[in-house]
Amino acid sequence: MAKSRVVIIRSSRTQGPRGLVPPSRIKTMLTRGFALLTDQSQTEAGLRTIFHEGEKIGVKINTLGGKKISTKPETSLALAETLVLGGHQKKNIILWDRTNRELKEAGYRLNTNGNDFRIFGTDTNGIQYGTQLVSHLNIGSLFSTIQTRYIQSSISLAILKDHGLAGVTGGMKNYYGAVHNPNKYHDFNCNPFVAEIFDSAPIKQKHKLTILDALTVQYHRGPSYHAQWADNYGAFIFSFDPVAADYIGWKIIEKLRAEKGLPSLEEEQREPVYLKTAARMGLGKNSDENITIREEEV
Amino acid sequence: MKRRHFFRMLGGTGAVACSGISSYLSDLYAFQETANLSHVEARFYKKLEDREIECELCPRACRLGDKERGYCGVRENSGGTYYTLVYGKACSLNIDPIEKKPFFHFLPGQSTLSIATAGCNVNCKFCQNWEISQVRPEQIRHIDLPPASVAVNAEKYNCPIIAYTYSEPIVFFEYMVDTAKEALKKNIRNVVITGGYINQEPLQELVGVVDGIKVDLKAFSQEFYTKYVRGELKPILEAIKTIAKSDVWLEIVYLVIPTLNDSNDEIRQLSRWLKTEIGQDIPIHFSRFHPMYLMKNLPPTPLSTLVRIRDTAKEEGLHYVYIGNVPGHAAENTFCPKCQNIVIQRRGYEIKKIELVKGQCNFCRNPIPGIWS
Repeated sequence: MAKSRVVIIRSSRTQGPRGLVPPSRIKTMLTRGFALLTDQSQTEAGLRTIFHEGEKIGVKINTLGGKKISTKPETSLALAETLVLGGHQKKNIILWDRTNRELKEAGYRLNTNGNDFRIFGTDTNGIQYGTQLVSHLNIGSLFSTIQTRYIQSSISLAILKDHGLAGVTGGMKNYYGAVHNPNKYHDFNCNPFVAEIFDSAPIKQKHKLTILDALTVQYHRGPSYHAQWADNYGAFIFSFDPVAADYIGWKIIEKLRAEKGLPSLEEEQREPVYLKTAARMGLGKNSDENITIREEEV
Repeated sequence: MKRRHFFRMLGGTGAVACSGISSYLSDLYAFQETANLSHVEARFYKKLEDREIECELCPRACRLGDKERGYCGVRENSGGTYYTLVYGKACSLNIDPIEKKPFFHFLPGQSTLSIATAGCNVNCKFCQNWEISQVRPEQIRHIDLPPASVAVNAEKYNCPIIAYTYSEPIVFFEYMVDTAKEALKKNIRNVVITGGYINQEPLQELVGVVDGIKVDLKAFSQEFYTKYVRGELKPILEAIKTIAKSDVWLEIVYLVIPTLNDSNDEIRQLSRWLKTEIGQDIPIHFSRFHPMYLMKNLPPTPLSTLVRIRDTAKEEGLHYVYIGNVPGHAAENTFCPKCQNIVIQRRGYEIKKIELVKGQCNFCRNPIPGIWS
């Protein structure tokens, strides 16, 4: 059985003055990540192995945590610029999340037309959630029409965070923001719901890539921001395997917790059991022996 | 969504067709739709360290970090303070006969001003109102209708009762309680239609301000509650006992879902529990299920099942056992348990005849429990 590849690109210089991340540094990290992930020396060629020409690409970001612990605009825009290198038009790249309010609070400038990148929330007039319930295993939800109608391929660009219930929130749980009723999926450590939402047709059929934004990792008391438990980890984690990406994210959180003398998530009875469920469902790998890590400092 | 509820709200043709009343809610067009959510501090929660909170309204006890919402979707932690987002935000508004709730022993034939906000603290796979109960308030249209306005409108439209219904009123607890207090000032009664998944402390406050509570008991097994409701049976049974001990009128509804909660054993156990813990005079309605929401794979409940279940409950000694959602069936009527004569004759939501005098059977003078005046 082939192993899943996870690429970790780190940089010790991701925090500029006033906490801003230099976009050039982000872009360097992202292009290197694509190169290692696709085994292509040229980013353009690498991107062509992932996305089809002319298709609309959705980048599901996470702006729930406000300015301090959301996918930063400089990160999302650097990714979007990188996608342009692969021959995609700016107007075919949609950076999106649940609400325009959360996007604005996280520092995004909304845009729904013209030739620039599209940036908007599901609650935009004319977008909203679909009217047909998607019923899948234990899931029953209306999905954002951005995911169901407006894009052909999807990237989960998620913030890596500790989560009081799920244990870890990463690329898979990021898709909670694609459904109208995420509050209904937090029982039982979010298990099996994280896996089942990912396994539902609107997500599974379009998801191409997970990128975990681990520039700042909230390793305790997440998903809210708490400065004392946030680490400037300075990394992006890439994988075509959504389970493997989150599994490696979990290991990073455990490592940071151990370094700070905190109990493990297992000891706190909130390890991300949904990863086991996802692996059982065939969505990806969740063990060290089935994952190859390529790590590089730029 | 939402069209049918919004029609209800506006008193348009949907509401008229549905309830058989004239369109005299048209004045409510004057209320402005609003996109804003309320920001009223919730009751029944405790503040924890690091801006976390724990909700104490229902047994789910959601523990939430900053910016997170509870399971109900209508209460949010903002900076360590917990807020209700639906205070005064009615998403559904209608005038219904009390029989529609259903209450059969509470002011028969009277109209209720029925209101709801978005949200629910469980997620029944067979929910009949999921378009409002299983959504967040910002996802549906609503109007600003403060508590005092609800009471004023109940009076204006000759509704002696306000019903908190359609979704799950527990999740708009603050709005409901404050509205009930306003209604009491005008001698308007208050009834609540709920799943009963509420903690004892808020329940004690609730029974102090309302007159009737109808509990939708979904089944009599925890397994069913785990699989199909995502809730717990035990606290609901405790809530039923608390309501029964109070001065509030109590009725039970049990939606009979083919193969899932319709066994004779389960109905027998339920009936015995009710008889022992509450008393044999508690009215219970066994309602017909229709395929909805996430449970479209089952057929409507056969009438024969409902009849069998009613027979079982009566065999166990319950006096007032009704069949619901089958208009015209004889088991819609109230029979005097002593002389077996019909004391309230119904057809659907319509009252055909009442043979009660001062709460007693007109034929044999047996007292019939209920709120009759």
